[in-house]
Amino acid sequence: MTAQTAVNKASLISVPAPVAAVAAAPAPLRDLNGIVHLLTCGSVDDGKSTLIGRLLWDASDLYEDQRENVRKSGRKAAGTDLPDFSMLLDGLVAEREQGITIDIAWKYFDTETRRFVIIDSPGHEQYTRNMASGASHADVAILLVDARSGVKKQTKRHAAILDLVGVKRVVLAVNKMDLVGYSEDVFRKIEADFRTLCWKFGFWDASAIPLSAVFGDNVSSKSAAMPWYTGPHLLEHLEKAPSRGTASGGAFRLPVQTVLRDGQDFRGLAGTISSGGIKVGDGITDALSGRSAKVIRIATMDGDLSSATSGQAVALQLDIDIDVSRGAVLSSSEMRPIAAQTVEARLVWLSETPFDARTGYLLRTVTDLIPISSLEIKALLDLETMSSHPSTRCNVNDIAIARISLGRPAAIDVFSDISETGTLMIVDAVTGASIAGGVATAVNAKSDAPGDGHFILSREMLANGLCRDLSLSANDREEFMRRANEAAILLRAAGVSVAIEPPPMVDDGMDPGL
Amino acid sequence: MTASPSHLDLLEAESIHIFREAAAQFRKPVLMYSIGKDSTVLLHLARKAFFPQKLPFPLLHIDTTWKFHDMIAFRDKTAKDFNLDLIVHKNEDGLKTGINPIDYSPSIYTDVLKTQGLKQALDKHGFDAAFGGARRDEEASRAKERVFSFRAAGHRWDPRKQRPEMWRLLNGRLGTGESVRVFPMSNWTEKDVWRYILREKLDVVPLYLAKERPTIERNGQLLMQDDERLQPKAGEKVVMRKIRFRTLGCYPLTAAVESDADTLESVVAETINAQTSERVGRLIDHDQSGAMEKKKQEGYF
Repeated sequence: MTAQTAVNKASLISVPAPVAAVAAAPAPLRDLNGIVHLLTCGSVDDGKSTLIGRLLWDASDLYEDQRENVRKSGRKAAGTDLPDFSMLLDGLVAEREQGITIDIAWKYFDTETRRFVIIDSPGHEQYTRNMASGASHADVAILLVDARSGVKKQTKRHAAILDLVGVKRVVLAVNKMDLVGYSEDVFRKIEADFRTLCWKFGFWDASAIPLSAVFGDNVSSKSAAMPWYTGPHLLEHLEKAPSRGTASGGAFRLPVQTVLRDGQDFRGLAGTISSGGIKVGDGITDALSGRSAKVIRIATMDGDLSSATSGQAVALQLDIDIDVSRGAVLSSSEMRPIAAQTVEARLVWLSETPFDARTGYLLRTVTDLIPISSLEIKALLDLETMSSHPSTRCNVNDIAIARISLGRPAAIDVFSDISETGTLMIVDAVTGASIAGGVATAVNAKSDAPGDGHFILSREMLANGLCRDLSLSANDREEFMRRANEAAILLRAAGVSVAIEPPPMVDDGMDPGL
Repeated sequence: MTASPSHLDLLEAESIHIFREAAAQFRKPVLMYSIGKDSTVLLHLARKAFFPQKLPFPLLHIDTTWKFHDMIAFRDKTAKDFNLDLIVHKNEDGLKTGINPIDYSPSIYTDVLKTQGLKQALDKHGFDAAFGGARRDEEASRAKERVFSFRAAGHRWDPRKQRPEMWRLLNGRLGTGESVRVFPMSNWTEKDVWRYILREKLDVVPLYLAKERPTIERNGQLLMQDDERLQPKAGEKVVMRKIRFRTLGCYPLTAAVESDADTLESVVAETINAQTSERVGRLIDHDQSGAMEKKKQEGYF
């Protein structure tokens, strides 16, 4: 939406505001300038809920009944006469009873220009997996520490998890400065520890801010108690962070979700662009088959587009039918993902059920679901030292270095190069449960030992038996693959290492992209 | 250089992604259509997700027979205009017992005619996934809801058994007896719904716009007399007031607000400046503390 349209829409509103004036200025009636997802992490006692509650109280467009609930409750922030802002974060009944966060809560607030999404993640150590899943959605992470105790082992674990799941911007919120007499020395020491810690990781931006959540110092306004701090207050810092979807650099990727047809000649490969951009006339290549084609139409219900970029949900029509369907990744012809047979990955073990080599596992990528012929745990990562030690076992909340052999090739990128198409989920083939989330650290087009030790589900065998009723139509070919996957899952669950014969590669001798 | 996407552009794209993912992963999805503003946006997003194809799933409306007449007319016109497959389900057994929202408590009424009705319809048609317009900002217990929300056999929601969701990966592989509720608008707020309705110029049920309507004041709430089934009690009287609804459910469980906002633009302006969040107008939530979470565990949307 252009600024011009936004202005026009706003000017449509000529109705006077209701007589009862609101405390905060109303959010403007136009589209906001993007969304920033904030993750807050810290220990239970660091005052995290109070900080977020305070941000909501000070800077957001809370409804009056929500404010009234907090006032009426009579609950006070510990040791003060101020309302207990953490109430604004309360979620499930179970949490209110236990007094600790057991899950991720999502909160939304608007400032004048921005939508903020707060992902409140549990600080309790046993909920590392919850933090990792929360962090995977974050653009910016707020790491909360108590000024009296500074950077702790827990802080290091959190920073390591943030780095693992790809968070690039981190703010260290040094809370409870009021309890250390707003001392600059205390803050500088913690800030220095934080910088040392951050050297190990791939953060683009890491800043420390001294604050007091209870009293509001440096939360949404400058603190008079800390004149020695000249940097931005927390809200100011967050409002400057880039919105999701503004970065459109990188090689083009569109993981195909589904194929749309209108009964005539339209065959649209539908999906969300996960990296880079595309224009009508550009060449694309299907990573798995190597087939290339040219984009002749970018279709949406609002009309065709001449170009589209990362984050947009579109349907691409190609000049020739290159026979791709769900699970394919359309890519820039020059730089495409590897058709991976084996993947090295870092996994966060999410399931209460430990790793078991005999369990049938599946690998979910953004739009594909692939039978795993073997999952091997190589080592576990110690998040405090970032060192790894060999292990063949893996339990809930462990971070494992693993090797995944796939039952058939899949288009997977290395996460540090192109993030979204490098994200992975290990799924239990029988229960469907999400077992582990992870990122690809290396991909290999060759299987460990081709044919060796694997039972190969040949396409001919499938075509003559299980799939005899299927034609060569696009729908039936999808069904063919679905049945092949399910047959592989059954065999795998019975302890047979199995691979599906890949479709023949096409080499039409043409220059990719022409 | 292209302008960076607005927050509504990003929300729309995310919802389309979720719709396409669910339609591809589940065998027999259905869209829960409740006729209100959230359903209006939900349906619009679904149409965008599959354009130019016809929607690859039907719409399901659980008709308690206590919907406002304007809502039913709007539902039928929408289905016709967009060439949609609409399934209307009523809990006939429940209706036979005579349960109604006037003589019974809201929780009993809702359980029988809505919750049980929904379960019946899902079981009858064998739907394994149901799209709903629920948002995380609606109510505290929904703040932790997943995009793919799993239900065990019997449609029970267990907060401790929900699957973690990471990045844009949505795992829809079902275990035995499981089904899923899919919430493409998880990350929308009430204000976004209105902003989007305005931006996309969507038609909504006329009850959202202020008009002189017959009303009865009861327990401090304004109820609209939609037909003869709602009658004033002793000491009450029917008064014409200019009212509109912020949320549409069953009458007389949905209260109206007095308002002069009779255009979409003025409704949106009022909403943006609102002092109270929308569920205050829906009487079911006042029933007991933690009411919504309890309803959800029982299978309510």
